[in-house]
Amino acid sequence: MRARTVRLWSVVHTWTSLVSTLFLLLLCLTGLPLIFHHEIDELLGYAPQPEAHASAARATPQVVADAALAADPGRVLQYVSWDKDEPGIVTAFTNSAPDGAADNATVRAFDAVSAKLLGPVGVGPMLIVLKLHTDMFAGQAGKLFLGAMGLLFATAIVSGVVLYWPFTRRLRFATIRDTASRRVRWLDWHNLIGVVTVAWALVVGLTGVVNTWAELMLNQWKATELTSMVAPYAGKPSPVHLASLDDVVARARQAAPGMDIAFVAFPGTPFTSSHHFAAFMRGDTALTARLLKPVLLDGATGEVADTRALPLYLQALLISQPLHFGDYGGMPLKLIWAALDGLTIVVIGSGLYLWLARRRRRAPVRTDAFARRAPVPS
Amino acid sequence: MHGSSDRARLWIRVFAAPILLAAATMTGLLAALLWGTAGQYVAWVTVGAPVAVVARAWVRRRSQKIGPISPTISGK
Repeated sequence: MRARTVRLWSVVHTWTSLVSTLFLLLLCLTGLPLIFHHEIDELLGYAPQPEAHASAARATPQVVADAALAADPGRVLQYVSWDKDEPGIVTAFTNSAPDGAADNATVRAFDAVSAKLLGPVGVGPMLIVLKLHTDMFAGQAGKLFLGAMGLLFATAIVSGVVLYWPFTRRLRFATIRDTASRRVRWLDWHNLIGVVTVAWALVVGLTGVVNTWAELMLNQWKATELTSMVAPYAGKPSPVHLASLDDVVARARQAAPGMDIAFVAFPGTPFTSSHHFAAFMRGDTALTARLLKPVLLDGATGEVADTRALPLYLQALLISQPLHFGDYGGMPLKLIWAALDGLTIVVIGSGLYLWLARRRRRAPVRTDAFARRAPVPS
Repeated sequence: MHGSSDRARLWIRVFAAPILLAAATMTGLLAALLWGTAGQYVAWVTVGAPVAVVARAWVRRRSQKIGPISPTISGK
């Protein structure tokens, strides 16, 4: 590689890293507790626990919906969801209006058998950490900004891999030189940790970028696929009385055999039209449990209106989520995720140190050069 | 010809380990998603491999720093 090419890549690596450093440190530091948010919520008492029951007869969806409305008088239901990993709990989202902002929603957990209110969900210190991690309390603009930082991170990784060759070709793999220079030792650690974590960092970085586009993708789906699915209902008024949630769930199960219900979006919410319930169905394998299939049902009668697989970009979004969160391989994978996150913090920190050390090393040379050029006072 | 084969050998020496680790990581990330419980075990080993490499380098460096125990002391 020519010296000029190395210099060019070095400029790309330095500046893409420097511009995004502060935000990447924020993402890594907030991402670390988020890996264990279930455990932390449980420890701090913010995770609702299901009651112990002798019988396994579950409350019907409508009973849970009634309990959710009774718990939040004057508000409306937006979503009811069933988490595969927490079968003892049903979660309900209420808001001031069906299309109310996500930040104004109240999320409560109900016992899956007795439909008793278990407590609020998504509150406590982890909510602050999550908001910092996803949008820095700046809404969609914050999300897109962090997405742009993620793209800079990916560019820094690629340029780092290119620079790995000229910096390490005379060394054995994983060599940390035993020199007196702290800068050289940190350069070796920066190169080693950076290159061994490259695949993980790229996957987590790019899936994070994809997640920042979630709302845009959902809007695109609504503007294209959903619009064509609800076209026969164009011009019809919104239903005054909604169909029973029991009927909606039962018919959705019939329309998607072999699949189970993940969540139901009520008419008028961002995931459906003003006339339809949307039941999002999931499969039973590790992969298909992530790939949801929407079933649209008439809001007034509960009859199935249409069902289609989600477009590729939304499927990519759904698959990208576990790859970003690292929550799909049990506690050992979470611990490995945390270790890799910690190593990424070391790479970012050492990169910043190397840049500062190089500037400090250059500074006296510049001062000397200036002193040599400066006229001697008479 | 000789120069280019040397260069290729050097390139392999520099990038072989990082490429293997990257391939292992990708395999593990997908295995847990596609192969259920068996895939999780694969993921623990392969996604954890980069952490193990860094830990090994750190331990090796620590032991080099401390150095071998002197025969006089160990003899006592």
